[in-house]
Amino acid sequence: MNSVATLVAQIQGLSGSTSDVNQLHTILKQFEDLFKSESTRLAPLLTELNPSIHSLGYLYILEACSSAPISKEQASELVLSVARFIDLSAAEQIRLAPDKFISVCKRFKDQIMLLEDPMRGVAPMLTALRKLQYSSVQLTTLHPDFLLLCLLAKCYKTGLSILEDDIFEVDQPRDFFLYCYYGGMICIGQKKFSKALELLHNVVTAPMSVLNAIAIEAYKKYILVSLIHLGQFSISFPKYTSSVAQRNLKNFSQPYLELVNSYCTGKISELESFVQANNEKFESDKNLGLVKQVVSSMYKRNIQRLTQTYLTLSLQDIAHTVQLNSAKEAEMHVLQMIQDGEIYATINQKDGMVRFLEDPEQYKTCEMIERIDSSIQRMMVLSRKLTDMGEQLSCDPLYLGKVGRERQRFDFDDFDTVPSKFTI
Amino acid sequence: MASSSSSGLTFKLHPLVILNISDHYTRIKAQSQPPPTTSAANDAVSPPPPPRVFGCVIGVQRGRTVEIFNSFELLYDPSTHTLDRAFLEKKQELYKKVFPHFYVLGWYSTGSDAQESDMHIHKALMDINESPVYVLLNPSINHAQKDLPITIYESELHVIDGIPQLIFVQSSYIIETVEAERISVDHVAHLKPSDGGSAATQLAAHLTGIHSAIKMLNSRIRVLHHYLLAMQKGDLPCQNSLLRQVSSLLRRLPAIESEKFQDDFLMEYNDTLLITYLAMFTNCSSTMNEMVDKFNTAYDRHSRRGGRSAFI
Repeated sequence: MNSVATLVAQIQGLSGSTSDVNQLHTILKQFEDLFKSESTRLAPLLTELNPSIHSLGYLYILEACSSAPISKEQASELVLSVARFIDLSAAEQIRLAPDKFISVCKRFKDQIMLLEDPMRGVAPMLTALRKLQYSSVQLTTLHPDFLLLCLLAKCYKTGLSILEDDIFEVDQPRDFFLYCYYGGMICIGQKKFSKALELLHNVVTAPMSVLNAIAIEAYKKYILVSLIHLGQFSISFPKYTSSVAQRNLKNFSQPYLELVNSYCTGKISELESFVQANNEKFESDKNLGLVKQVVSSMYKRNIQRLTQTYLTLSLQDIAHTVQLNSAKEAEMHVLQMIQDGEIYATINQKDGMVRFLEDPEQYKTCEMIERIDSSIQRMMVLSRKLTDMGEQLSCDPLYLGKVGRERQRFDFDDFDTVPSKFTI
Repeated sequence: MASSSSSGLTFKLHPLVILNISDHYTRIKAQSQPPPTTSAANDAVSPPPPPRVFGCVIGVQRGRTVEIFNSFELLYDPSTHTLDRAFLEKKQELYKKVFPHFYVLGWYSTGSDAQESDMHIHKALMDINESPVYVLLNPSINHAQKDLPITIYESELHVIDGIPQLIFVQSSYIIETVEAERISVDHVAHLKPSDGGSAATQLAAHLTGIHSAIKMLNSRIRVLHHYLLAMQKGDLPCQNSLLRQVSSLLRRLPAIESEKFQDDFLMEYNDTLLITYLAMFTNCSSTMNEMVDKFNTAYDRHSRRGGRSAFI
């Protein structure tokens, strides 16, 4: 194949400086159909190219190879070569053809899923993600795929590292929904319920013109996490929720809303019977584990409520009030809560008394100063961003059109104090 | 034209007069139309001369003291070079009813120097007051000048070239304030153009003062430090007297070093930071709220506005 050979030579020649690479990019774009037609025979060419230097050319050829149908034996080979490529490739060259890179990575992920070995894909996906992003505030299409692999492989910690970044730029809404949903699930797995709540909240309140399934599932989990973490759930949506979500989400999560009602009564027995009755529904949504956590969090709520009434209480009384089986269980619960920092108490094991204490934080230390200072700095950055966004919105023609139409027709000055005629 | 007056009168000027004249001038200047630009773009065209405003000053004359309390505006007729007489008399009558002791003491105008044409006006007023005063405000802002740009002229009959003529002579004056005037002038002086609340500006002024003081302290210490470093390196000769002074200063620090001070200091620091945090929170929430409203108006098809607000 002469043309292909010359192409390879060109790739090898023009991968030096950025201007050369741009030139190469235009040439490669012209040869798209050639790639598509020769896809099956391009594999051996890959051996002639060096992925770290000739990343762009390698990418094009790799993409053509992977788009062809692949048998199971070739799958693991492909997985290996793609992983190697992702590791070695040069980020600047890849960013010139992001869609090709994304399609390669998606095929990679599909093959991994076929091979049922998600652990192999986690590290390469992470590298791929970082190389594709031009700044850490950007959400790429690879984010949700990476999080999905983390979830399947149960490496939650790696997933968490991605979730620490604040996201300010989103390309595709579907990416954002999936990212927040999977991110929420990872946080639930790591028991970081506040972050999970935040992410699921984002899915529920994100602007959407039609209801989507991700939001429905996220809403169910949102209700459960809110019960576990906050002990309550407010049915009203914040005003930045889209009206589509506000009207329709509740219809799909009836059993969960009833769960909220029985939770609010504060009686463990009622809650448990309700969960028993609706077992299949929760199971089909794969939320049974979360629901069980909700039930156990009920004990915590009740113990916390006790701190507001009593200064000291015996373990026996705690067990009795909270409807636990024995004082030993009560001690376990209280100990766990003290360790988690949910209450402040001391247990006197000699006479089985628990003394509830105040929050010992005096807000007098240098560490507290640093914490508050960093929070203030973050808030200033956020405030500046919000002002910029507000200004951008004010210049948006869509906004100006609507505001102009709905403006009051009567200005305060036009209002005549003596009306000339009455209209009843 | 100007030389010091020999009449021996002492003039007392109230700030209200100065504010009135300045306000009148600013208003007229702001309302005057800018001249149309010529298409030839003649760069040599100078900006139009600032408008002159005219008015009357009123007050009390007790013996040798002339106290100017108030003023009002008058229209100047450029064709006849006289002030509007009828209006002046009407205004004088009205003021007499409210302030029976006040008389028309003279007139005021703006400009950089007294002019010949002013003498006409001055003579015209002589039938109301035998020796009127002429208060002149110079509206051009000169940052180097420390005094008020106000001059008070009297008229004196001097013999020039054998002809007795009335000319303007400058007189000195002092500023006299009543308590109410002092408070309002103080308030106006400290008002910042950005926000109007007096509490907010006081706090901001206080903090700005402290900030500039600390900045100056910091820069002075930096200079000393730099100097000491240079001395250490050997670039500058060692000056023992200076070193002794620096060392005595350093031995006086730290001023307070006790556990209790540290405790209280950190607590207060934390409290102030928390309040700042709360303020930032509120600020950010309100920005976010506005932005969400705008977003909902622009993009949410079915958002219902609360309806027209009621007429007040």
